[in-house]
Amino acid sequence: MQYPEAIAKLIDSYMKLPGIGSKTATRLAFYTIDMNEDDVKEFSKALVATKNDLHYCSICGNLTDEDPCEICRDKTRDQSTILVVEEPKDVMVMEKVQEYHGLYHVLHGVLSPIEGKGPEDLNISSLIKRLQKIKAVKEVIVATNATPEGEATAMYLSKLIKPAGIKVTRLAHGLSVGSDIEYADEVTLFKAVQGRTEI
Amino acid sequence: MKLTEIELHNFRNYVDQTLKFSDGINVFLGENAQGKTNLLEAIYVLALTRSHRTNNEKELINWQSQTAQIKGRLQKRLGTVPIELDLGPKGKRAKVNHLEQAKLSTYIGQLNVILFAPEDLSIVKGAPQVRRRFMDMEFAQMSNRYLYNSTQYKKILKQRNRYLKDLHYKRQKDRVYLDVLSDQLSAYGAEIIYQRLQLLKKLEKFAQNVHSEISQGKEKLAFDYRTTVEADQLGSVELIYQSLLKHFAKIKDKEILRSTTLIGPQRDDLHFVINGKEVQSFGSQGQQRTTALSVKLAEIDLMKEQTDEYPILLLDDVLSELDDFRQTHLLTAIQDKVQTFLTTTSLSGVQQELLTNPRIFRISEGNVTMEK
Repeated sequence: MQYPEAIAKLIDSYMKLPGIGSKTATRLAFYTIDMNEDDVKEFSKALVATKNDLHYCSICGNLTDEDPCEICRDKTRDQSTILVVEEPKDVMVMEKVQEYHGLYHVLHGVLSPIEGKGPEDLNISSLIKRLQKIKAVKEVIVATNATPEGEATAMYLSKLIKPAGIKVTRLAHGLSVGSDIEYADEVTLFKAVQGRTEI
Repeated sequence: MKLTEIELHNFRNYVDQTLKFSDGINVFLGENAQGKTNLLEAIYVLALTRSHRTNNEKELINWQSQTAQIKGRLQKRLGTVPIELDLGPKGKRAKVNHLEQAKLSTYIGQLNVILFAPEDLSIVKGAPQVRRRFMDMEFAQMSNRYLYNSTQYKKILKQRNRYLKDLHYKRQKDRVYLDVLSDQLSAYGAEIIYQRLQLLKKLEKFAQNVHSEISQGKEKLAFDYRTTVEADQLGSVELIYQSLLKHFAKIKDKEILRSTTLIGPQRDDLHFVINGKEVQSFGSQGQQRTTALSVKLAEIDLMKEQTDEYPILLLDDVLSELDDFRQTHLLTAIQDKVQTFLTTTSLSGVQQELLTNPRIFRISEGNVTMEK
């Protein structure tokens, strides 16, 4: 026997989500049938809203429901620093720290020719235009991941930006806070010794 | 370092097999195609997580199974350590002392092995890539930093080659990013070249001693590392880095045209020289064999110096390749120091008086029986 069309379609839709196969999708679909109607309506509205209401900010590239985004509109934030990250979720992580009060720029990836991502495929040209337009920026902090690709992207940005007389900095490498030296891997330890600071 | 026990599950033709080894010489004896080398390979894979015979890991897993497992017990200076390697469709997992290792790089180096197979004679006369592979495999076991640098280098090299291709076919046009990749590649490449030179210098010293003994003082062996970097620029990582950068700047257009990286450690070569003559082109068969044997025996000493433990020696069918004199030399060099595993089809060609208390495993169609 085949499932009625409505359920079959729902199962199919659930299966498009990452990490969900046919069994889980079927279980979710049958659970949905038993949910109360308001919850289901709320759920479907939320799904549609992510598509209709969310955009990338035209200034920094972050996810937002209004353009420009909340951070770019906030004049009380420090306008002289821009922190460059790979993904929108990195902005959320930085914001949680509540220590950084400057602006952001989201690249949407890192340079990686193997994955077909060259300089023109990232949100880099808008960063350069932004720096040319707003003279107030004194420092660009590159917060890409500590992978070879992240490092290459950071070096690339510094080559582009430094000639304009803007300071380019990179997040520090080293021991994670609260960790024991004896458990750190040798490369991390080596980087930590290289990047030691005077006290 | 000794391997006291190994347990195989679905590794090649061994479905379930446990073997207890002697601290001295272990002999795998049997006809051809019975599974002798598979046992040596298992020890090699347990040590280095990859095989010397194949790059296709599926071949290591028994065809009736999805996963394979190799477990070993190591006797080190400071006690026994169980290690384990699981192979499966989703990749490899390694455990030391029952703890899963997040990175394979922290696992490699637990068990150090040196393999001597008939193919190793091609270290001297084979293609340059054989010698580069030899350096990479051996030095990675001795130094975690070498392993790290060479894995990073390979990643960046792949990116750079792809980008050169993109530039060649005009899919990309930004030259600044190419400079960044060259810079990154030079930094890791310089570390690799410098470390190779340091370790080769030590290896050369040990190999010279062995070689001069075998040749009864008549010959002097020397190493010659060939690289694009000028000889007077090899003194430090920084100098090598600067030199590589300079070369990259010069050959940029040629590299784009050819769509590949043309200089760096992946293009360097190692040459062996006896009494001023290159062994590869001018040496006799005998000199080539002696050189290969000297280099392999020197590795044992270098490994001992770098890691403070003797490695385990795997000899795959090499005794038959060596004459009596060289056999004697090999077997006396390892006596009482190095745990050895060797495969052979018969013991008749081997000078048995030199095999002190060998533990003999007879292998027939994948069945292993220990001889008393």
